[in-house]
Amino acid sequence: MIDRRLVSHVNWAFLGCALLLMGLGVLNLYSASALRVEGGLALDPYYRKQLIWGGIGLCVMLATMLFDYRHLKSLAWPFFILSVLLLACVPFFGKTIYGAQRWIGFGFFNLQPSEIAKISVLLLGAKLLAKISDKLDWLVLFKVMLVGIVPAVLIVKQPDLGSGLTVILLLGGMVIYKGVETKILKGILIVGPLLLPFSWFFLHGYQKQRILTFLNPGRDPLGAGYHIIQSQIAIGSGGFWGKGFLEGTQSQLSFLPEKHTDFAFAVFGEEWGFVGALLLLVLFCMFLYQIVLTSQEAKDQFGSLLCAGVFFYFFLQILINMGMVLGLMPVVGIPLPFISYGGSASVVNFCLIGLVANVSMRRFVFKK
Amino acid sequence: MSQIDNETFQGLPGNPVLLSILVVFLFCFFGLRLWYLQIYRGDYFDRKSRDNRIRRNALYAPRGLLRDTNNVLLAENKPSYALSLVREDCPDIEKTLAQVAAWVQIPLEQLRKDYVRGKKRVKPFANQILVPNISFAQVAIIESHALDWPGLKILVRPRRSYPQGPLMSHILGYVAQANEEELNKDSNLALGDNVGKIGLEYTLEGKLRGIKGLNESEVDAAGRTLNEKVLAPSVAGEDLTLSVDFELQKVITQALRPHAGAVVVLNPDTGKVLALVSEPTYDNNSFVDGISVLHWKALLNNSRHPLQNRSIQSAYPPGSIFKLVMAACGLAYGAVTPDEKIFCPGSYKLGNRVFRCWKRTGHGWVDLKRALVESCDVYFYRLGETLGIETISTFARSCGFGRPTGIALPHERGGLIPDSTWKWKRYGRPWQKGETLNVSIGQGSVLVTPLQMAVYIGALLNGGRILQPSLLKDAPVFSRGDLPFDAAIRERITAAMEATVEGRHGTARRLRMKGCRIGGKTGTAQAVNLQEKYENKDTEEIPYRLRDHAWMASFGIRGKQRYVVVTMIEHGGHGGSAAGPVVRAVYEHLFGRESK
Repeated sequence: MIDRRLVSHVNWAFLGCALLLMGLGVLNLYSASALRVEGGLALDPYYRKQLIWGGIGLCVMLATMLFDYRHLKSLAWPFFILSVLLLACVPFFGKTIYGAQRWIGFGFFNLQPSEIAKISVLLLGAKLLAKISDKLDWLVLFKVMLVGIVPAVLIVKQPDLGSGLTVILLLGGMVIYKGVETKILKGILIVGPLLLPFSWFFLHGYQKQRILTFLNPGRDPLGAGYHIIQSQIAIGSGGFWGKGFLEGTQSQLSFLPEKHTDFAFAVFGEEWGFVGALLLLVLFCMFLYQIVLTSQEAKDQFGSLLCAGVFFYFFLQILINMGMVLGLMPVVGIPLPFISYGGSASVVNFCLIGLVANVSMRRFVFKK
Repeated sequence: MSQIDNETFQGLPGNPVLLSILVVFLFCFFGLRLWYLQIYRGDYFDRKSRDNRIRRNALYAPRGLLRDTNNVLLAENKPSYALSLVREDCPDIEKTLAQVAAWVQIPLEQLRKDYVRGKKRVKPFANQILVPNISFAQVAIIESHALDWPGLKILVRPRRSYPQGPLMSHILGYVAQANEEELNKDSNLALGDNVGKIGLEYTLEGKLRGIKGLNESEVDAAGRTLNEKVLAPSVAGEDLTLSVDFELQKVITQALRPHAGAVVVLNPDTGKVLALVSEPTYDNNSFVDGISVLHWKALLNNSRHPLQNRSIQSAYPPGSIFKLVMAACGLAYGAVTPDEKIFCPGSYKLGNRVFRCWKRTGHGWVDLKRALVESCDVYFYRLGETLGIETISTFARSCGFGRPTGIALPHERGGLIPDSTWKWKRYGRPWQKGETLNVSIGQGSVLVTPLQMAVYIGALLNGGRILQPSLLKDAPVFSRGDLPFDAAIRERITAAMEATVEGRHGTARRLRMKGCRIGGKTGTAQAVNLQEKYENKDTEEIPYRLRDHAWMASFGIRGKQRYVVVTMIEHGGHGGSAAGPVVRAVYEHLFGRESK
């Protein structure tokens, strides 16, 4: 099924970036799992688990590269319906962890339907948008956005505001990439910010709390403001060169909360300093830029839109997570791809990388 | 590939630049932020992270020990437990305070007030002492709940203890928690520290306190300590040995009880204080942990004033023992010669007023020695009238009266030597000649402390040096001046004092002891001007408040042992009969029982 010519067209720079990021992520998790105790360091096995999940992810990635991505067009609807059904099941069969019902247990692992939903929205969005030749008008825009709104509402109800918003923004990004009528764009740009304050009334108490705390972390330094303050201290105290691998006091002495998941980047910034953090940022930008390039080179609109979707998928997560860790955004539970620990996230990430690589290696199929 | 919908290539979807712009934006946005956090404010956050994990705590310095001249321990340190709070580690301070209040049974209001007041004195991440002293049982309860209450910590600190209790309270004083004012004055003091409040603990604070050390430890977010390092060891306070003899102190206290009064025993040649007793007394241990309001009020309102150190803080009319000064003054100014005789008919007339001698029948012809030995008032009335108040007051002041002796104890009073200037200032009236006569026999406005009198007697014996009395064994002898009269006069007076003990008519006959030279002078000072109805009554028949103060100033010499003993018994009645037995008990102890 795969011929040699396709292999020669694999975008190695892109895959290299991804693998490097994953490697740094595991290395960082090794340190983030370390706790300083009397007489040395104690390690949690997070880095090892992440390595295993990375391996599974790589297999999934290879699998997604094997077939022509255009087959996915026909799978887009059934996949979307399945994911909406799964989301609908969550309130009945879901597991509650940290007070939120986001997971469905399958014995040996917990499936997070919102992750599936992101991929399905991405696929269906790309499929629908590819069919449209003109810029989008109001009606079409509404139809397309409905694809995102249905799962997003279900996700927000779990409650998982971060993922719900990601789904909407992901689709929104693809729509804008595709192009909408100028007046609509203007309308969104004007009305959006005006509507934003009203969203306040739809937020949960803890969400309001987080936003208030973000605006003024000092108002509760040991409670809600603790994450923001400690994370900035960790990053800031890294200085230019960082404290060194396994030397991060903020993380090892547990001052930094969620250090192996949402705040893993803070551990990295503390130990590797400005140099390391900037290098990681550069690596992320190169990774994203490779996706951008692929979207430009894709042989068809579906492929191009697929890449744009994947681009926004990663871009939004990086933006939100780093923004949170660096104290520029309220605390939202969104992980940093490759750096934060997360099993299903790793698999999904590599699955999407596989898609982009798929588009990339088949970019010449029709251009001969 | 047949199923694939082979759409024709429609060119790129719009906005090819959009995504690239987003990438560049991402880089610039976070790159700048990283620069801001890590470079621009890197030092600030570095300090913050250090504050997070590095805790600096004081290492308490043990306070210097105090011992008596025979090495009997008078003040020591015992471990005590204090409950402290690191507020940065405590998630809910209000709840924690409520729990602490329940554990140690103090009102929450009080605890909260103390916490708020103390907060500003404690650096971030440092221990703030909530309860300075908790019992071992409370320690056990709190320790067992330690994990549920992050931020709470039990500190072990040295606590002052006075094994001899009330017997030494007036000399040692006590330490207690430093108050607002003391904390403001001394930056080395931290909240919850004890500081000398009175007595030697107060005056020797600088030597006794020592220097606190500094301990650095690394803690994790739960406040667990991982590594500890001593940055500066604490320096213990200086151990000091007093000149006071505790055994003697004990003997005197027993002899003095149940009277209220004071006894001073001095070495005349060095000014060292061997005993300084004031009765009634109090237990200084009860102040160390903070005295209860009830207990404090009881001490304050006690009509016998146990907090008053009568040996230095109470000034009394000296009565006849002031004649020891008057005699010297008369001889020094040549107002009388030693052999000049004056006739005492039992009273002395000044204008219309009649001043009576204590002996109504009169002493007949008396010379200076007899006047002292039998304490003839008329002799001294005449002498006083001749000398005049200005001469007397100047002379008495240069003998060390009217000003504090300079002993290292706080709140010492200087007594009072009146003169016409003082009278004007105080009452706005001129000095009356009759008052001079009263002063001449140690009555009227003249006031001296027992310690002043002891220093004066010491000067008579040691070659005329007015020594600053000292409580420390190793302190150098410090002379504050010389008596304003020569050795011949001093010898006449001490001889008269010996005759007062040895002579048949001496008022201090009961001090007579074999094998040693003892001199004395009694004094019976009117506390108030007695009304006619109490005249010629026995002491027991007069209400306590109105009874005379009993004085006895004395010295005892045996071989190289030389002592001055001054006793003052408040409302004790007659000097010889009330104060005499106490002084005798002192000499019996000092010279041994066999000298009886």
